[in-house]
Amino acid sequence: MASNKITKKDLNEMAVRSMAEQCCFSFERMQAIGFCYGMTKCFRKIHGNDNKEMAEAMENNLDFINTEPHMAAILQGLIVSMEEAHQDRALIHSLKTGLFGPLAGLGDAMWWYTAMPIIASICCSLASQGSALGPIFYIVFWAVTAILSRIWFVHLGYNAGVSSIKFIGDNAAALTKAAGILGVMVVGGLIPSYVSFAFPESLVIASVSVQGIFDSILPSILPLGIVFLLYWLFKKKNVNTIKLILLVIACSIVFSFFGIL
Amino acid sequence: MQITLIQGLLIALVVFICAMDKHMETFMWFRPLVVAFFTGIILGDVKLGLEAGAVAELSYLGLLTVGGTVPPDPLFAGLMTTVLAHTTGCDVATALGLAVPFALIGQWIGTATNTFYAGFLPAVDKAAAAGDEKKIARIMYYAWFLYSGLFALAAFLSVYAFQGGIRMFVESFPEWLVHGFEVAGGLMPAVGLALLLVVMLKKENAAYLLAGFAIMIICNCANILPVAIIAGCIAFVGFNRDVEMNKQTGTSTEKEEGDYEDGI
Repeated sequence: MASNKITKKDLNEMAVRSMAEQCCFSFERMQAIGFCYGMTKCFRKIHGNDNKEMAEAMENNLDFINTEPHMAAILQGLIVSMEEAHQDRALIHSLKTGLFGPLAGLGDAMWWYTAMPIIASICCSLASQGSALGPIFYIVFWAVTAILSRIWFVHLGYNAGVSSIKFIGDNAAALTKAAGILGVMVVGGLIPSYVSFAFPESLVIASVSVQGIFDSILPSILPLGIVFLLYWLFKKKNVNTIKLILLVIACSIVFSFFGIL
Repeated sequence: MQITLIQGLLIALVVFICAMDKHMETFMWFRPLVVAFFTGIILGDVKLGLEAGAVAELSYLGLLTVGGTVPPDPLFAGLMTTVLAHTTGCDVATALGLAVPFALIGQWIGTATNTFYAGFLPAVDKAAAAGDEKKIARIMYYAWFLYSGLFALAAFLSVYAFQGGIRMFVESFPEWLVHGFEVAGGLMPAVGLALLLVVMLKKENAAYLLAGFAIMIICNCANILPVAIIAGCIAFVGFNRDVEMNKQTGTSTEKEEGDYEDGI
């Protein structure tokens, strides 16, 4: 039965299959199908021709899961290692259900709220200067991280075992908090550079330019105020994204019509 | 400028590939910066593609798939910002505002498939019960190609088939209306950032938002990296302190409930 052992090559292949984690996403069970698909090859190797075991292993991983696509690789590595050790499926299932939430929070904070704004802002400043290096660097960065992070995460999950994964689970709050600080500070920095809003120079009250008044209080105070206004509408008034975008467009057009903007 | 049939087909192909990536959210080819770059190459105006991509990318930065909701579509935003600026000759900021309805088309496709794909689940469950992993893979590929195909079709119709109508419609706009869309385009990043804050902003980290804002005004740097480095330092120090505190409280509870350790 030595040939049933999961090798490094199997794990690397699972990392590649893990890229399809989000495929066939449905509102009912979210990423279930893609998540299970990533592990089927390893399951087959572990269980050989035993279709009954194979079926149970797959069914155990086909219910609701919604995590961050990069972080899913850690879970897949962990589940394959437990499946290989023929651990109790109920234990595998409860670990999966317990971990996907914290991993999603951590992954969202790291990849989407932190890495994405940083890389996007660097590449966009290159692109807006007319350099094709902007999008090229963007493509290369994400291709490299997409592949390397998944290979690393699959091995991490496979080798770490339950105890080390528990470390992530235990410190998920601290990690998410740290990632939150990083992300929020970056967003703060993005406001003055990327939200452009200013009254025209021609708009004058008592021979003083309106924009000049705001600039002398604090540069970029208007973009900051607008972001907070929109935040307030989202958070406290529960206005949805589409309505808010349409509201922004409608206000811009109305103000433009009266020549205020 | 007119878009030829060949350009329309090439754009549909690019959208198909980028939509395949969008379904996975793996290589970020669905982000406006990349889509607009490719579109710019096809239209023979790389500079416009770069410009449009940079504007659209930042506007749709915060409009991410959070918790299974489908945001206005960044792929269509990148594509149509470039295409509209090219065909109508308007400013990229104006084109960004005009591209919003198309981004909503992309969003509808996403919501429709996310709903529709729940219908595939019984077949998948049956395949799993039979231990047939190949069938699960096949169903997944169908779903993947169908999604990308719908995107490519919608892109072809918007870019090529309806271009005359769209251009006539936009050209009939008076100047104040065009300027209104330009202002709206400049404000789009604010919507994205506000949406990000809805998820991220908590009482414990609210102060860092203002700190980041102030640093950026002072340093006036072309990109966000200096702020990110300072933020990284603060986050690292805070993380170490929290882990240290976890250890201290962790060991004290372990002594009391050591017997239960296996139960978790």
